[in-house]
Amino acid sequence: MSASTASASATPVLTLDGVGRRFGALQAVSDVTLHIEPGERRAILGPNGAGKTTLFNTICGDYPPTSGRITFFGTDISHLKPHKRARMGIGRTCQSSTLFSGLTVQENLYLAVRAAKPGRFSLLKAKPGDPDLERVRALAEQVRVDHIMDTRIDAISHGQRRQVEIGMALSGVPRLLMLDEPAAGLSAAERPELVKLMAELPRDLTLILIEHDMDVALANSEKVTVMKDGVVVVESTPDKVADDPMVQAIYLGEGH
Amino acid sequence: MIMMTSRQWMMTAAGIAILMALPLLLPNFWLVNIFGRALVYGVVALSLTFLAHYGGFVSLAQTMVAGVAGYAVAIMAPTAIPLGPLAMPYGAAIPLAVLAATFAGAIVGMIAVNTREIYLLMITLALAVGFSLFAQSNITWFRGYEGIRNIVGPEVMGMPFRTPMVFYYISLIVAVLMYLLVLYVVRTPFGLVLQAIRDSDRRTAAIGFHVGLHRIAAFALAGFIAGWGGVLITFYNIGITPSSIGLWATVGVLIMAVIGGLGHPLGAFIGALIYVVMDTFASSIIGHDRFNTLIGLVFLAIVLLSPDGVWGAGKRLLNAFGKGPGKPAPKEELL
Repeated sequence: MSASTASASATPVLTLDGVGRRFGALQAVSDVTLHIEPGERRAILGPNGAGKTTLFNTICGDYPPTSGRITFFGTDISHLKPHKRARMGIGRTCQSSTLFSGLTVQENLYLAVRAAKPGRFSLLKAKPGDPDLERVRALAEQVRVDHIMDTRIDAISHGQRRQVEIGMALSGVPRLLMLDEPAAGLSAAERPELVKLMAELPRDLTLILIEHDMDVALANSEKVTVMKDGVVVVESTPDKVADDPMVQAIYLGEGH
Repeated sequence: MIMMTSRQWMMTAAGIAILMALPLLLPNFWLVNIFGRALVYGVVALSLTFLAHYGGFVSLAQTMVAGVAGYAVAIMAPTAIPLGPLAMPYGAAIPLAVLAATFAGAIVGMIAVNTREIYLLMITLALAVGFSLFAQSNITWFRGYEGIRNIVGPEVMGMPFRTPMVFYYISLIVAVLMYLLVLYVVRTPFGLVLQAIRDSDRRTAAIGFHVGLHRIAAFALAGFIAGWGGVLITFYNIGITPSSIGLWATVGVLIMAVIGGLGHPLGAFIGALIYVVMDTFASSIIGHDRFNTLIGLVFLAIVLLSPDGVWGAGKRLLNAFGKGPGKPAPKEELL
């Protein structure tokens, strides 16, 4: 067990205990141990191919771990299906935008709201005034897409898609939100909007952020885990990480 | 997805009114052998369009599922020759047959639940061919190569089902109900989830939906729709044989759906009408044994010139003249 985390009295939101994931001969992630405390803002930093996204996928269940154990609020979720984990309160966005491109912004958010509730096979249409629709409107305002509700996803900008994605990840009132390179591919004009939006997220929401851009990662987190070649190399506060010779070697060595 | 504006409702109502009036305008041959037949095959094609357009699953098993209903109603029909041990009134046989097709659809969905694209095509094709060969070789229930004859359908208000007017109106009612069912379902949460699965199944799971169960439910619903088509086709053909659900019938339904346009439920009926017209008149144009050449050429032309079928071409034409239902139409509340 890692002693690096100051042991808090509350149950950790997420614990990874020696988690590994192997694809055939490739050990993409090995022996990762993490403790994420309630309300923590954690960045996972590392060069391309470090295993960050694979680690995310083991947490949300797309690729369950091949070794180790993951607990969420004390419950072992190592082998739960992705939709079960989502219902427990793990919200995520993906590295590449994967919204439902043939549906409108409103419909995308509506589905995310419905997903968190029973009656998922409902054959009844929502009527005006339906609480789900109210919730959709509130989410849209929160991520500032309420002016494009009836526009199809394939007709909105990349930055707006990111905002919709975060809105969807927030829909189930998640207790843990995982963002996979949320700023990737955004224009200089769109980036501040996203950073602001992230800063406005409720403080009791635990956030894990994958970034390969060091500046974004350090600016948006309280604690940073640095990965390389599938293992955790450093875990510390943003300013210490910035000065860490090993981290500098990784990044300068990569020519970044 | 489809949004029905009041204008589109009016067009739908006008279309239905014209179809209602057809018996006054057309001779019985056109009523039954062209329009009636197009409606009943169109229902089976509709089930394919529903799966393909809204779920993204191109299934070749829809003819087979219709065949399950067809055989079920034939086995239970009180008029069947030879009469089976399960004979019961049509009033019970028809719902049971549709139920059987719904189950068959769900089973196809369960078998194909983890397959996509070409693998889904292969699995459903294998099921379709397998069922047809099974029906051909099973004597006890399916009566082998001969099939089951004299499935004339129930009497409706004292008139035989085969009366042109009765057959046409019942086919029309079933077709319209199935069409409206599809339009309705795709705007419900369940229908939206299907479209979400089509766009990104992984993300659909990531927000908390069980993708597999929704897929199976979609196949069951498609089975329900195809089942009504299968029952009516069996009445139309006055019986059922293995060849009527074989490979050619399977391909035929696929061709109908593609020619008409997979982008809209209406395409299924447009395609079925074109297919039936060509099937009927090919013999007088270029000889009956050339039907496959003709339909093949039409299919090729459609796929090359208008991949979204006649429906898509029609929509583009209307848009070009600036009065079509195209363009993101003003939206009702939600969905």
